[in-house]
Amino acid sequence: MKKKKLVAMLTAAAMVLSLAACGNTNNQENKPAADTSTAASGEGAQENKESEENDTKDATADDNAADAAEKPVQTKPLVVYLNDFDAVIGDMFKEATGYDVEVVVGNGAETMSRIAAEKGNPQWDVVWIDSMYDVYNLAADGELVTDWEPENAANLTDFSKGLVPENKCMYPTDIHAAGVLVYRNDVWSEADAPKTFDDLTDAKYKDAVGMADPGVAAPAYPLAAYFMDKKGLDAGKEYFTTLFDNGLKVFPKNPQVVQALAGGDISIAMLQETNAYDMVASGEPITIIWPEDGAPGSTRVAAISASTEQLEIAKIFVNFLLDAKTQQQLVDTGDEGYFEPSVEGVTLKAERDANATLAVADEVFGAENEADIKAWFADMSAK
Amino acid sequence: MKSKDNAAGIGILGLLILLVLLPLVTVLFQVICPGLSLDKFNVSNLALVLDVFKRPLWKKAFLNSFFLSCGTTVLGLILAAILAHIRVNYKFVGAKLLDFTAWVLMIIPSFILAQGWVYFSSGNGIASAWLGIKGVGSFVFSYWGLVCVMVLCKFPLAYVTIKTSMEWYPSRLMHAARMNGASAFRAWKNVQLPLCIPAYCSAAMLIFMDTVGDYGMSSTITAVYSFPTLPYTIYSAICSSPVRFDMAGVLSLYLMVMIVIAMAVQYGAMGKKKFDFLDNGTERVMAVSPKKPVQVLLTTGTVLFCLIALGIPVGSELIMSFSGSVSVQKFTFTLDNYKEVLSSAGSMVSGIKHSLGLAGISAVFGILIGFCVAYVLTYSRFKLKKLIDMLTLVAMAVPGVVLGIGYIFVWNQKWLTKVGLHLYGTPSILVLASVAAAIPMINRVLVGGMAKIPGSLLTAAQMQGAGFFRKIRTILLPLLHNSSVSAVLAAFGGSVFNLAITTILYPPNYSTLPVYISDSYNDLKFGYAAAATMVGGAFIVGIMMLLEVVLNAGYRKKQGH
Repeated sequence: MKKKKLVAMLTAAAMVLSLAACGNTNNQENKPAADTSTAASGEGAQENKESEENDTKDATADDNAADAAEKPVQTKPLVVYLNDFDAVIGDMFKEATGYDVEVVVGNGAETMSRIAAEKGNPQWDVVWIDSMYDVYNLAADGELVTDWEPENAANLTDFSKGLVPENKCMYPTDIHAAGVLVYRNDVWSEADAPKTFDDLTDAKYKDAVGMADPGVAAPAYPLAAYFMDKKGLDAGKEYFTTLFDNGLKVFPKNPQVVQALAGGDISIAMLQETNAYDMVASGEPITIIWPEDGAPGSTRVAAISASTEQLEIAKIFVNFLLDAKTQQQLVDTGDEGYFEPSVEGVTLKAERDANATLAVADEVFGAENEADIKAWFADMSAK
Repeated sequence: MKSKDNAAGIGILGLLILLVLLPLVTVLFQVICPGLSLDKFNVSNLALVLDVFKRPLWKKAFLNSFFLSCGTTVLGLILAAILAHIRVNYKFVGAKLLDFTAWVLMIIPSFILAQGWVYFSSGNGIASAWLGIKGVGSFVFSYWGLVCVMVLCKFPLAYVTIKTSMEWYPSRLMHAARMNGASAFRAWKNVQLPLCIPAYCSAAMLIFMDTVGDYGMSSTITAVYSFPTLPYTIYSAICSSPVRFDMAGVLSLYLMVMIVIAMAVQYGAMGKKKFDFLDNGTERVMAVSPKKPVQVLLTTGTVLFCLIALGIPVGSELIMSFSGSVSVQKFTFTLDNYKEVLSSAGSMVSGIKHSLGLAGISAVFGILIGFCVAYVLTYSRFKLKKLIDMLTLVAMAVPGVVLGIGYIFVWNQKWLTKVGLHLYGTPSILVLASVAAAIPMINRVLVGGMAKIPGSLLTAAQMQGAGFFRKIRTILLPLLHNSSVSAVLAAFGGSVFNLAITTILYPPNYSTLPVYISDSYNDLKFGYAAAATMVGGAFIVGIMMLLEVVLNAGYRKKQGH
């Protein structure tokens, strides 16, 4: 009988072990590939440099030899957790530096929960996401590399410099409006439409307004935090209470806000700017308003895991993100090209309002009050 | 015999503990031990359990989930029973359409179906803007509307289970009843119907569990109708920052409470009665051709039903797949979405390939384990078999995202690397999670089928010298052929589109079909996402139809069809 129990248990274990073998095989298969690509990468990077600087061929050849000697050797791809630009950033970085990047894309909340679940054994090297307050909180838990400054940080705009925390645990790469005012121009005339966020409390907009859920959508929390910080916590809650009383509808994420706007279920929204411009580009009857006192901004930041085994390459990646050429390329080719770059010397998308101003909540305020604000918001939206 | 029962029972229990309980416990344990860090251990945190009576969102989510699941279960069961009865007993044009509809609805993930319903019913949606039917939106986005939509999406699980159980007819018992003066209806009511109770219970549990744990439908419909449910609230807790795994644990506990209540109701309904009627007095039910008017009525009704259940959500997605705009109101016809999907065939095909591989392995492992689970539940005297039953239900009702997080806690331990079992970050973790997700459905379908096969048949074979595998091969497999095929196909189809698990667990650069579709949707490429759904869905349905033909080929030959 004991034997049979043993056989049963062994069968169970066999399944797991066979899967482990499968997983290990994959790992083993990956490693030589990564090594090979590293070798190729070094050559690729050298070739790129040579082609760019033909006029100083001899000197460059010497430099390249020196660079190759100093260049960190990559043993496995750099793992980057992000929520946008997943389709382009890997190739861009490879082309510029020769290093391999593997991305794990998810919405902001999913990415942060994955990071939290991995806490005992982090699998990521760099996080690059528009959840500044969440990332800042990671530093408090000792999960980020702090007190380092990338070379390209010198090129940050004044606004962006103000967003770098004292412990230098993260660097902003762009800021986009977490919520611009948008309205259906086939429902509201220009005269009747809201001009400021405070106008949304007007009874004539009852049941017409929507926004994304700060607890789920990455850009929606900076939106809520901005009002709480600007007006004060109590006055901020009062503002949203008035909106809820006026029938504010909260949707899980911005794409659902777009769908509700397009479907006519709401006619006004506080909408993330790329979504707003995409709606206009798609021919929807939507007008975008940038409030004069600024639209709440959501800051995309890059930070390095304290447990990374590839610190030097991770630093090269973050520095690369702060390069004006990189940010220009993201404006021109990325899915989320509507944003304010964090460094000087980048031309914005032509459709974007040249006078658009952004405002963000203080990172310490936003990080400290995040749990309370999200819980309060969730309960209010359920009432 | 008892020792064999125990050995099998312990083996199965061990597997389920590994696949379901352990990951779940790591999340539940966070309530008293946040971050699984022993220095944060605090029993007083259990007070969080009572927050369901305090926090408005939790209270509302709990009640919404409960009432939505109850309503869907009752109506879904009635609908499925009527459809299964008609399908098994009558020949009519369109009978196969009903099966096809059920299968397609079963494999399409609820978020895609819900999306279709939103395109159809929203303010400027297809119903209002194109068909001029007003009021659809206000009905669909209400409690009863949501129940109806849920019923139309979830009935196939019950339909397949009940239909399989109705294929055999207790002719000797029925004749005895009729000879003792019972009318045809009374004989059906008092003899045939009660014998199908296990199948009805399985069907009801399937609908209940699938509804109570459904995230896709509630999160999508919430876009126009505020109706928070437990899965949505659990998702918010997990995805909140700072992440509240403890809250997710408490909310998952509520789901488990619902499962226990549902199981108690099921055991209460079945009592200790026996339902195994399959013996030499049993006949296979032969469908009869009804009179012409009835045939016309059945055909018309079936086509109309399929048009509503499948035509509306899939048709709406199909329309959007040809749209160059984000809304129905501004629809502009274009083939660009399909061109883009087919031109990006590399990433799309790799997504499909990954999903198919996962689904194939899940179906194979799932049917092996599911068969053993059903066997232990039906024929063994293993003392902990109710625990086994509960674990399979938990795996179905607890949202994939909770299990996924649990898998990270379990399989991302540093020491596992040394013993070669660090599965997190590899495709193997997806296989494990997909198998865990596939077992409940396979098990329910097989349990429904096994309940009607008496253990005495197996005992008789054993007394004649048949070994364990011979009994399975010569008795159970032939009698369970249809149930097994249904179970394999359901598990295969379900795994292909399992979004929740693959989103949270997928390894770097390892995209799957549902992740690919969901990403496109989040990038506002609604038309493109719809086109990818259509292409991917057609591909999967094609493979499933092929599988069905292959799996049934030998059987039909033996039956002489």
